Amino acid sequence: MSKFRVVHYINQYFGQIGGEEKAHVPPSCKEGPVGPGMAFKAVLGEEAEIVATVICGDSWFAENMEEAKATVVKMIAQHKPDLVITGPAFNAGRYGTACGAVAEAVYKELNVPVISGMYPENPGVDMYRRYALIVETGDNAAAMRKAVPAMGKLALKVLRGESLGTPQEEGYISRGIRKNYFAEERGSKRAVDMLVAKLKGEEFHTEYPMPQFDRVEPNPAVADITKARIALVTSGGIVPKGNPDHIESSSASKYGKYDIEGIDDLTAETHQTAHGGYDPVYANQDADRVLPVDVLREMEKEGKIGSLHRYYYATVGNGTAVASAKRYAEEIAAELKQDGVDAVILTST
Amino acid sequence: MDLENQARIKELAEKLGPENLVVILGGAEAEASGLAAETVSNGDPTFAGPLAGVSLGLPAYHIFEDAIKNLVDPQVYDDQVSMMEMVLDVDEIIKEVSTYREQYAKF
Repeated sequence: MSKFRVVHYINQYFGQIGGEEKAHVPPSCKEGPVGPGMAFKAVLGEEAEIVATVICGDSWFAENMEEAKATVVKMIAQHKPDLVITGPAFNAGRYGTACGAVAEAVYKELNVPVISGMYPENPGVDMYRRYALIVETGDNAAAMRKAVPAMGKLALKVLRGESLGTPQEEGYISRGIRKNYFAEERGSKRAVDMLVAKLKGEEFHTEYPMPQFDRVEPNPAVADITKARIALVTSGGIVPKGNPDHIESSSASKYGKYDIEGIDDLTAETHQTAHGGYDPVYANQDADRVLPVDVLREMEKEGKIGSLHRYYYATVGNGTAVASAKRYAEEIAAELKQDGVDAVILTST
Repeated sequence: MDLENQARIKELAEKLGPENLVVILGGAEAEASGLAAETVSNGDPTFAGPLAGVSLGLPAYHIFEDAIKNLVDPQVYDDQVSMMEMVLDVDEIIKEVSTYREQYAKF
């Protein structure tokens, strides 16, 4: 039997080109394993081999995302892989994002499975976990010793076409895929059992892990709200009718900026929601329910606020990666500051 | 261990012969010191540098270890090292370094 073909994607550092001073190097491709690929070689054994390694500088990838993805995928495709390994990237943000972006492109364009490895807090996890089996690793390269055997084992399992267990069993980060199964006990009993275990201080596994949120320190209060310029920003997906920017109903890849000058009321004829995570009927009937332009116009007329900013910003919060949301917020906040906005009302769904 | 240092040690080992070399570490922390000891003996465990997959088998000691400390002029040691010896976790560092040395050093 011929060996399975694996292509490996790594950055300039693990590609032995150099550290940060070489992060600007464009993609290149070498035959056979390089760097961590040598460690994978030992784990993959006789069943699979790394036929090529694609190396790209982290900065180059981040600064030329679209071109980088296209070039890297083309290089990978030339070697006709059965599977692609990216990283492991540990907690390196740009590297993790590149590994994830390559995974997405490989998965979508070549329909080839991808194995990666990252620290759970790497932004690449949140953005791209749907497209790869990302093995949970430690936060720095010293974790290579454990990461490589775990990733290699999973790679062989996928190549052999064996069915995968749950993320906990296999050691990869949940892709957010739900699989139905018949439980021995009904839900209420399982919940009470968990509660009892928790009260006793025993170990238990939640069936529905809560997302982890960071805390944001509030800004000082607005000095005089009757003189403040107020802007509206929403993750509730309120867009002009027809959704001109095609903001996605889930996992939004963008936000929109919309002019509301002269608009006193959002109606079913002028606005709608693009959000796919709640019942849109009432938002479509009257989008003010999510983005209260009508009330703020009244307050503006009554002198309760200084003015309503001419533009509002909207995205869809449904399943949107925290890293993407942070980026939108940074861009939006910079524009709002530049436009002299004093305060923002954020509305969700 | 950074790429330049790995390259330097590899070059020295080739030039002088690995049996003629001992590496003395000054790392301030156990994990990093252990990584360096592993890198010069078994090879770079992070597979990033020139010593990836290269097992030089060099023995590495930390400057805090008695075997090295006793070779140093006490006055010099006192001036240069003893201050750090007071604030760092010496036992943990020595344990980590000696673990890798005993496991992988060939000389």
